[in-house]
Amino acid sequence: MGHDDDILTGRIPEPDAEPTASERAHAKTFAELVEKTLAGKTPPAMSADDRALLEVATVIRAATGKIELGSSKARSLVDDVLRHRVGEPAASASVQSITTARSAKRKWVPWAVAGVSTAVAAAAVLVLMLRSPQRVTVVEAPPPPAEWTSRPADALIGRIAPEQSGDADVRLDRIFEDRLDGYRDRLVLRGGRR
Amino acid sequence: MKRLTTSLGLALALLVAACTDREPSSTRTVTEVADPADVIDEELMLALAQAKNFHQKAKVYRSDDNLPAATAAVRQILSLRFPANAPEAEDVRNDARALLGKLLYEQGQFDEAMRTVTEGIAQSSRESFFVANLYTVKGEIHHAKAKALAAATPPGAPEQIKAESHAAIDALEKSNLIIEALQKKLIKERR
Repeated sequence: MGHDDDILTGRIPEPDAEPTASERAHAKTFAELVEKTLAGKTPPAMSADDRALLEVATVIRAATGKIELGSSKARSLVDDVLRHRVGEPAASASVQSITTARSAKRKWVPWAVAGVSTAVAAAAVLVLMLRSPQRVTVVEAPPPPAEWTSRPADALIGRIAPEQSGDADVRLDRIFEDRLDGYRDRLVLRGGRR
Repeated sequence: MKRLTTSLGLALALLVAACTDREPSSTRTVTEVADPADVIDEELMLALAQAKNFHQKAKVYRSDDNLPAATAAVRQILSLRFPANAPEAEDVRNDARALLGKLLYEQGQFDEAMRTVTEGIAQSSRESFFVANLYTVKGEIHHAKAKALAAATPPGAPEQIKAESHAAIDALEKSNLIIEALQKKLIKERR
């Protein structure tokens, strides 16, 4: 196969030109090479031109999407995946590497999320516990004036003379008037609240 | 995975809530308006007004010389309901008992009069001018009883008359002692 220059670097033939015998022979040889490659019997040695053409042909075929795995190969891949799911090592290296990467991710992501959640929750609880309690200072209003309060009537009535010992009504009138004043003052100053 | 994400969201929300301070300052000042139980209230004013009415009734009956009706009117003051622990209640009741004692002994009911007065003294929680007045009336009752005994036919035993007269003096002295102590106390408080 010493016509590298003829195929890739030679003159490009006209579209309607008749193929030469050399071209026909080369086409036939390349077709056989492609057939062998598809059958999985790629020859170990070939010319650089043929290898380049063969790679292009493989890419074009792959791009059409019509490549199907052989039934034995497909079964083998499915078996590998199932074996991995039940914990057994996969026979195929490619499947094993993919599933190992996925399982590693599956292993650490939930733990990371759970860890972060726990840490945040713990921080929130700590903040709630350690936050300084709200201090409420109760300022009591000053005691009400004595006039507003219920109290002994001694200071108001004073000494009761013996000749006035039976004048309870007069004394009660004074007590009543005094307490009424205090009661009214309290109501007025408190805005009518009782 | 969804559950984990939800728990993370909840934890974050909790943290945000914990860090949110509702009050701008940590110290809140609250003014609590004191409304002590001993302020003059409607209940006290109502009781005082009712006592006034009973005294007025008694005064009218007395002016008509209807002493039993006057006595009954004054007695009603003793059953009036005052606010609990209102000092006015004790003062008003003691004054009513003093008047009641006088009305009773004026009707010759010395024992009932004495019982009314001594009950008032015994039930008093503090010494006051009203308690002193009860002792004064007590002295009047003893004195009136001594006079009644002397005027009776046959006259009462001289020892009994003398005992009543002494009891009258003792009661009046007690009244004076209370008055003196209270006046000193009031003067001290005014200073």
